[in-house]
Parts: sequence; C-alpha cells; structure tokens
Amino acid sequence: MSASSQGGGETPIVEFRSVGKVFEQGSKTTKVIDDVSFGVANRPGHGELITILGPSGCGKSTILRLIAGLRPHFPPTSGSIHVSGQAVEGPGRDRGMVFQDYTSFDNRTVEDNIGFGLECEGVSASERSERARSWIAKVGLDVDKDAHKFPHQLSGGMRQRVAIARTLILRPRIILMDEPFGALDPNTRLNMQDQLVNLWRGEEATVFFVTHSVEEAVYLGDRVYVLSPSPGRLYREIPVPAPSRPAREMQREPAFNETVFEIRDIIDKLESMSDSDG
Amino acid sequence: MAADRPRFFELRVAPPSLIAKLLGLATVAALIGLWWVVTSGPTPEQRLVSPVILPSPVEVATSIDALWRERALAASVAATLRRVLVGFGLAVIFAVPLGVLAGSWRVFDAAAAPIALFGRNVPVAALIPLTVLWFGIEETQKVMFIFIACAPFIYSDSVRAIVSLPDRYVETAQTLGATPTQIVSKVLVPLAMPDIYKSLRGLFGMAFGYIMLAELINAEHGLGFLLSTSQRRGLSEHIILILMVIALLAFLIDRFLLWLQHGLFPYRRDAE
Repeated sequence: MSASSQGGGETPIVEFRSVGKVFEQGSKTTKVIDDVSFGVANRPGHGELITILGPSGCGKSTILRLIAGLRPHFPPTSGSIHVSGQAVEGPGRDRGMVFQDYTSFDNRTVEDNIGFGLECEGVSASERSERARSWIAKVGLDVDKDAHKFPHQLSGGMRQRVAIARTLILRPRIILMDEPFGALDPNTRLNMQDQLVNLWRGEEATVFFVTHSVEEAVYLGDRVYVLSPSPGRLYREIPVPAPSRPAREMQREPAFNETVFEIRDIIDKLESMSDSDG
Repeated sequence: MAADRPRFFELRVAPPSLIAKLLGLATVAALIGLWWVVTSGPTPEQRLVSPVILPSPVEVATSIDALWRERALAASVAATLRRVLVGFGLAVIFAVPLGVLAGSWRVFDAAAAPIALFGRNVPVAALIPLTVLWFGIEETQKVMFIFIACAPFIYSDSVRAIVSLPDRYVETAQTLGATPTQIVSKVLVPLAMPDIYKSLRGLFGMAFGYIMLAELINAEHGLGFLLSTSQRRGLSEHIILILMVIALLAFLIDRFLLWLQHGLFPYRRDAE
C-alpha cells in the first residue's frame, strides 16, 4: 500500500516514486526496500513530523539515508527520490541528519561543534560564535558552563543536544533523525522528546524520525509510517495527534496508549509474518 | 568475611600502584644483588664470572668518569639524537601528509600499497649497503637510513588512522554541507591526529633503536659508535653503561612525548 500526498497540487517536499534498493554481495542479493512510494506535502511555515516504525531490518534507516543521499544506500536501485521537486544527487545541508552514535566531533568544543556548518560556509568567527551560543541555550545547555567543554565531558543526552543544535542552526528544510534517542536512558529520553517538540515548533522543517519505540513515534509524530519487513514496504500510514502536552503527561493517557497498542499489534503481526517467511 | 586486603593473583587485576612500583624496584635490586654476587671475589680469578665478561657494579660505576670525559659521552648522545631527530622528522613531514591523502582518497593508497608493503618488510639492516651506495658514509647516509626505515611505517599508520575513523563522522559533516576537502581538513585530520601521534611515539622508539645499526659504520660520535669501539677495546663496563644510558634516554623521550600528547590533545581521555 502506498501513501498519497496531501494538500493541494504543490510540489511535495519529499517524494518517493516506487523506490527499491537491492544490495549485491558476491552472488547474494538482498532486497532492502521495495516499491516504496509516498509524498509529503510542502506546507510552508509548518513542517510535518513523520515518525517511521517497523520491525528491525525493514529498511527504516535506508529510507532516511536515501533522502540524505548517503552511500551505500544511495542511489536507489529503482525508482526516484525528489526533494522539493529536485532529484536527490547526494548529501547536502538542506537535509540535516542526526545519528544515534558518534554524534560529536571530539576535537571541537560544544560551541565549535555547533558552529561547524557555519564554519564550512565561511561565516565569520564572531558571528559563528554568537549564533552557536544562542543555540547552546536553545537546546537547554548552559552557555557559560558548557560552551567550551569537549564532547568527552558531556553525557549522552547533552551530546545529542549538541548534535541537534548543530543541525538546526543551519535551518535545513528537512531534518532526518535516525534513532537519535535510542541510546539514552528512559528519563533523558522523555526530556529530549519534550525539547525536540519545543524546538521543532520554532522551525519550519519537515522531520523524519526513525525509532524503535512505539510510544516515541506516537508522541512525536503527526503521522506514523509503519514499514513491513524484508523487503521493506510502506505498510500503513497512521495520522496521530500532535504532541500538545509534555511527554510524561501525554504518554500516560488512555487514548494515547490505545493508539500505541494498536500500532504495536500491527508490528507484531508484521514480525510474525516475516518469521513464517523464514 | 574476608578483610579488604589487596588480592595479588586476581585475573587481570593490576596491583595497587605503590606495590607495583615496589615490585619493580625489587626485581632491579635482586638483579643488581645477583650481579654483585657473581662478580665479587678477592681476586679476579676467584670470581664466579670473569671481569672480561661481566665487570662488577663498582667497576661499572667508577668508569662513568672515563666514559664521560675521555670518550665524550655527551657528544655521542647529541650526535645520535640529532641523526634520529632529523631522519625521523623528515619521514614525518614526508609520510604523514601522504598517508592522510591516501587514507582520504584511497585510490592513492591502492597505487602506493606495493611500495609501502615492500618498505615495511625489508629488514632494516639490509638497507645499510644500499644507503651507503646512495648517500656515502657520512651524516647524510645515517639520516637517510632512518628516513627510509621509518617512512613506510609512518605512511601506513597514517593511512590506517584515517581509514579507521567511523563513517559517521564523514556523513555528519556531509549533511552539514562540508566539501570533501573541508571534511579532510576539519574532520578527518584532527580526529586522526591523536592516533597518528600515538603511533609516531612508538615508531620514534624504533628509530632510536635503528640508529645504533647505522652508527656501527664510520661514525664520528654516536652511541652505536661508542658501543662498537668499546667492544673492540674490551671495555665491557662501558658497554653496560652505554646500554643503561640508551634505556634511560628512550624512557625520557617517551615520557616527554607522552607529556606533549596530553598538551596537544586535551580532548582525548584515553591517553593512557
């Protein structure tokens, strides 16, 4: 099943047209994703947050990396990927990405990590520092205490805050997040979810957020994409209420949990289907 | 319940640092004691080991003066250090940038790999005849010998340091708009530097060992030269002293390089 693009005839911000990816290793070929099609409407001044769920090995990260233009997943074996009507040709700063691991440049202070993209662009040192410092505060770090710390002095959650600031400072149209909170403890994770919701409201970006946590997907998302495994296909597209209250509150409500259980059932079903396939 | 006393034979558990130091000292003391026992006796003939083979600790200690004054120990130390520093320094200037280039754009590594493999596998001693042919028997030969012996290792270690960095760093930089040259200069080089430096520290120790070989031929001063002349003149007490000086120098140099490492890379915790 494929999802259709919403919202009047405008060019979608991200569009997959029957995208497939096959890896070949010697004589062995693995089909990672197959015939994935979807479109995300461009809604100026109001991005969408799309969370991507699915059993492991269903190509969630592949979809993100294809949008980002990162090898070896990019280019796709079949189909085409368009961002704002343009075919994707490789990575670029219009599509920022936050990973789960190795998220900081160890040799740079917090301030210089956040200013990295601006530095590459040739922005002057003083302006860089000023803008980086404002972002340090925005992601909930302490400008005076943390600006000159090195990554090894930070906790995992703080490092992810730096990674998010480093991406958002460039104001990308699209933000790709590959299980960014996957390695954090549950408490930090909830804090980060709240933080992300607050930050994202201020931006006009479209976010693709891959996660293993159904709660996280339902809480953060405007829509949840559920992928089916081997090869990955877009199985369901489920609209969910936007996060209007803090994570700790909202994730305790019966309505919220009902949606979570519903989606979990779908994923369980998909998982058992793929098991019986062998 | 057992008291909280140190357990010495726990698998892979290091003893407390004071105890570790004392144990080390005890070994040295035992060796010196053994040395003293086998070389003591009222007359040379009554010693367990002849003074020609092993002079006594006292004889070695009292010969320091002769080694220092008559045989100009300091000049030899300076000569040896200068040769290693110049040869090794040239190798670093030459091989690190090449290694960074080849690690970043691996077609260059593919092209250079056979030469590097050859260079790393030629026995160093076998390089001496060739360097003599090419560079004569003066200082140039000694410096170039160190250069040729070290450059392939420095090159390969630099390539490895760049290549072994997780792709994630490159991908992050790419999605932040960095160009390939910016990724090399702003991401790969700074992140690989601590690794490269660490391997240089090890290789410098190796170079310091190699120079002794080159100094056996037509050297004026140099610790290797002092060693070979001591052997010809049967000055076994000087040989022992020189070996101690070499070990001490190597240790001091390594400590200095380690201290420098902490200063250069404050963002690395794992500096031993």
